[in-house]
Amino acid sequence: MSSPLENPTDFSARERRALETLVKRLGDDEFVLAERYTEWQVRAPSLESDLALANNAQDELGHARLWYDVLADLDVDERDLVYERDPADFRHSTLVELPFAEGDWADAVLRSYLYDAAEDLRLEALEDSAYPPIADRVGKIRSEEEYHLEHARNWLERLAEGEEGRDRLQDALDRLFPHALTLFESATPPVETAIPTREASGSNEIERNTDETSGDRSDADAAAAVEGDIVDFGLRTATLEELGEEWLSIVVPFLESLDLDVPIDESTIGEGVEYAVTVESLPTQLGRDGTHTDAWFDLYDDLTHTYRELERSDAAKIREDPDR
Amino acid sequence: MIWEVFRQEQAGEYHTHCGNVHAPDREMAKQFAAVQHGRRKPTNSLWVVPRDEVGEITGDDVAFGGTTDKSYRWATTYRTTGADASEVVESESEQADAEQGRGDD
Amino acid sequence: MDLETVKDRAGPRAFSPADDLPQEYREAATRMIEFHANSEIMGAYLERPFIRQAPSIDRKLAFSAKVQDEIGHGQLLYRAAESLGVKSREQMLADLANGDGKFLNCFHYPMESWVETPMIAFFVDGAAMRRQATLRRTSWEPYAHAMDKVCFEEGFHVKHGEDILQELMTGSRKERQLTQEAFEKWWPRIIQFFGPTDDDSTHHDFAASVGLKQKSNDELRNAFLDQYIPKARNYGLEIPDEPRIRERDDGTYEVEEGDLDWDEFFAIAKNEYEPGRDQIGGRRAAQEAVQWVRETIDETIARGHAPRAAD
Repeated sequence: MSSPLENPTDFSARERRALETLVKRLGDDEFVLAERYTEWQVRAPSLESDLALANNAQDELGHARLWYDVLADLDVDERDLVYERDPADFRHSTLVELPFAEGDWADAVLRSYLYDAAEDLRLEALEDSAYPPIADRVGKIRSEEEYHLEHARNWLERLAEGEEGRDRLQDALDRLFPHALTLFESATPPVETAIPTREASGSNEIERNTDETSGDRSDADAAAAVEGDIVDFGLRTATLEELGEEWLSIVVPFLESLDLDVPIDESTIGEGVEYAVTVESLPTQLGRDGTHTDAWFDLYDDLTHTYRELERSDAAKIREDPDR
Repeated sequence: MIWEVFRQEQAGEYHTHCGNVHAPDREMAKQFAAVQHGRRKPTNSLWVVPRDEVGEITGDDVAFGGTTDKSYRWATTYRTTGADASEVVESESEQADAEQGRGDD
Repeated sequence: MDLETVKDRAGPRAFSPADDLPQEYREAATRMIEFHANSEIMGAYLERPFIRQAPSIDRKLAFSAKVQDEIGHGQLLYRAAESLGVKSREQMLADLANGDGKFLNCFHYPMESWVETPMIAFFVDGAAMRRQATLRRTSWEPYAHAMDKVCFEEGFHVKHGEDILQELMTGSRKERQLTQEAFEKWWPRIIQFFGPTDDDSTHHDFAASVGLKQKSNDELRNAFLDQYIPKARNYGLEIPDEPRIRERDDGTYEVEEGDLDWDEFFAIAKNEYEPGRDQIGGRRAAQEAVQWVRETIDETIARGHAPRAAD
């Protein structure tokens, strides 16, 4: 299937594009979720829960930096990835970008559960990645994620005990679940790949089609093609469909055990699989294809405010090459 | 019933775990602890806590302080110039010790 | 124990919850520690938006960790205050929300730009640390124990704040200029951090006589100026002309108190300064919005339904 990918300078354009697309979906998810989690700092239900969620936020943000650092070897730095990237070129799931309504702790813990359950599965599928910098990162990230998942489950179980808690969880579930499904959508490769194309041949088949009349179609094709490459090159060892099905088989029974109604159309369940992600259950904006809710653009504006205000041209690092 | 015993040597110091006693109730536990754990070593105060009431979480259950690089949390990471206030110097040195103890460096 | 005995025995970490202490001591200690705890929370509230606005991932991480630490300090301090048996943490947080709880002057001012962050994270935290270091010898043992952990952690806050200042003052001309302007705006407030001169301080005498407070306002302000004027100059900040500060022959400083706005200071002390009221109100809204979570958990416990309670 694939040989180990060792030296980024020897990558074909297709390999680079697959790597960049994968790392962006990983890093962007963690980055934007962390950004949202920090909204709970000084606002959580108790001082102790404030500390705990802040910790999870720092973990996720640290993971974002770890993923983004994978691209440093390809000469893409934090400035390009965060502060000077077109917000429409971010590839995170819309689950992580939605704002929290004030006091909606049910949303916070449910979102965390939906995300962390998926995170656990995708990390498992990266453990044997053909690209060593990815595989090397998985162990450390995963042991932090275990706490997150346990933390989320503990809160869900407790909130679901009360009537108001369960009602609020149900509201949050109805709202969040379609967005959670976008975690398993394939990502459109970056519009302008920041990686210089060093080969003229062998990569043309997935170049973005700039013909506007067929834009949507070619985006979807390009996303499918690059997702195929991610698995074919062994960057990730499971397909998104497999991850999505496995995720559903974990989260649906758990949420139902809390007396919550999971908004999934069970009539679409196919042969041999218990659950499947279908187009009908997805929200309008998928995130993975660069379409985002308005909230993301506001968030991006806020988080780049200082960088723009001070006319910065670089993002200051305190730590060089973490975990290298 | 087992009671865990924490001893404070002198007023102002911390109570630290020093052992336990078997006792049927809190009163008896205090009396037994006073003799078993307070008769030789200097003691200002003892706490007794029912063993069953002690929750425990260990490094096997959770990665304390995380497994990824958290050096941004440590004073030692920052390279500033000029003489620092004595309490900042002290804090930094305590943090350096803690970092070493944690095996971060 | 009567008050005279307390005064006789008032040494570092002399009193613990096991001691039978007079009400005057308990109330004075509660007031002092509650003020300190409230200040941790309101400082964190003020700095929180800059987790998002920090101009790099690492700065964001450090800011998040710092705000997290401050909430942790609040947790420690409310417990130290609670252990005096006068007020519960819930009452103290309710008072903070409804505008009765008092906190440091600096945290009543709005903070609008990143260039202001070192004013809090370096200068105010540096000032706080000068005071906190002395409180490791306070007479209320739980307070002193809280200070041990606070002082251990706080060095990171001051160093990180200083690192931001260093970055700004070695940055572009615009950054240096904006930072100097922010410094001029915050400097008088920072001087007032230590309160009025000892003559005008109402609570000091009693707090000092029972060993709660270890240094006077003037002593702490001197210690701060002595350390932080050279630091400010080191990074190229110019000390504003006002308030006028004279260095005496013995190396201590005399601040021209008339140059400072004490009307504003005392309005703040009564929670009557408008921007501060907005901050109190904003935090109250946040606290009330999660009241349902606390109620849900309390009900769950009351019904004995807590999942895995036996763990």
